[in-house]
Amino acid sequence: MNSMILLARKEGGELLMSGRGLGWLLALSAILSVFGLLLVSNTELSLLDNAQVVYDMAGLVTALGALLAVVMGADAVAGERERGTLVPLMLTPMPRNRILLGKVGGQLIAWSVMYLLALPYLWAVGSTGQNLADAMLVVALLGTPVVLAFGFLAMGLGARFAGVRGTLLTSLIVLLLSASPLLLGPSLRQSVIGKVFDAVNPFSGAMNAYDAVIIDSQALSAQALHIGAILAWLGLMLWFASSSFRRAAQ
Amino acid sequence: MNMLRVVLIVLACAGSAAAGTAQAGGLSVSLAPLASNPSSPQMGDRLAFHSVIRNDGAAPVTGIIAWISLVQVDPGREQPVDLEDWNAHKAVTVGNLAPGQAIVTDWPMRLIQSGHYRVVISAVNREAGGLIASPFVEFAVRRKPVVESQRVLPVAFGIPLAIAGLILWRRWRSS
Repeated sequence: MNSMILLARKEGGELLMSGRGLGWLLALSAILSVFGLLLVSNTELSLLDNAQVVYDMAGLVTALGALLAVVMGADAVAGERERGTLVPLMLTPMPRNRILLGKVGGQLIAWSVMYLLALPYLWAVGSTGQNLADAMLVVALLGTPVVLAFGFLAMGLGARFAGVRGTLLTSLIVLLLSASPLLLGPSLRQSVIGKVFDAVNPFSGAMNAYDAVIIDSQALSAQALHIGAILAWLGLMLWFASSSFRRAAQ
Repeated sequence: MNMLRVVLIVLACAGSAAAGTAQAGGLSVSLAPLASNPSSPQMGDRLAFHSVIRNDGAAPVTGIIAWISLVQVDPGREQPVDLEDWNAHKAVTVGNLAPGQAIVTDWPMRLIQSGHYRVVISAVNREAGGLIASPFVEFAVRRKPVVESQRVLPVAFGIPLAIAGLILWRRWRSS
């Protein structure tokens, strides 16, 4: 079997088959459950809020997926180095980029599980409203590059930093900053600074596309600007992770 | 004096009736719910109100603008409602209304939020300095759960329990 796929299966399998990985999935599902229960207990929701709750759930799922990718990305390089297993991995005849892509494959498997886990929650809160299928589709199409970009970021930082702690801390700060549109409403992002931040932030791109598709019922094909920004960010992070990984290997 | 009291009572009754007509400056405005409206509407239902703006005077009335307003009247939650959210027509305009002619309009709306509401049609014209408003029509909207607990609860409890069960099963198997 292709060594890259083997590595991806190992990385993803560690999440799904280990007690620690299942514990993470339990914690992630508990967060989604608490959010769902909070919505059920809210008696003030109007019909307009139905799409809003699906949008909020989509944003939360993407943020949790990015968090998972950051933790796995930090462990993928900085963790291997701390455990003393990075050098043996580098000495294998596998090309560096394939190692990197294998590691990302593990994150992709983990995100896929996370996404599948989130689908029943999206259905539960959004089945009586509008654009549920579109919501599931847009989270898959735009959430995936956002999540992978954060995985690349954490791997790139892990290759440059000495330890997991510094890598995780820096990655989480970037993630928190990027995910701030979850907390700040659109009105707070109408200033020049807010608009510039929205234009360069992949998380904003995803959230704005979610807003347009889920709440405003716009076509996904009309979100080219947001998709372009997210893919540009993914490409940039891939380059950053690749160059950092090559540097760490030297 | 008694006659004045009777007139005041009649005016007060007209103000709170389900349908009625208001008149001023040659124009009269009536408003009534459509007979096809659900008797006990809930969130998501559609209602429509039928208004007739008639020129009862002897001269044409020009530049008529009529619009619908909706207010929530629940104690502690009194507020005007943004009709854009309720998919309602906002206004009709008529350049000239000859004597005896009428503007007949149906005002549909989708019920978005539960509560007690009053709907009213207001009209102005180029000549008159004031506003003419129809008697209001009251209606109540029953609450409909936006997020249904019978769907959320099995998922919210079932998935974490299933994962916890998997963790326990793995521990039991490995011990």
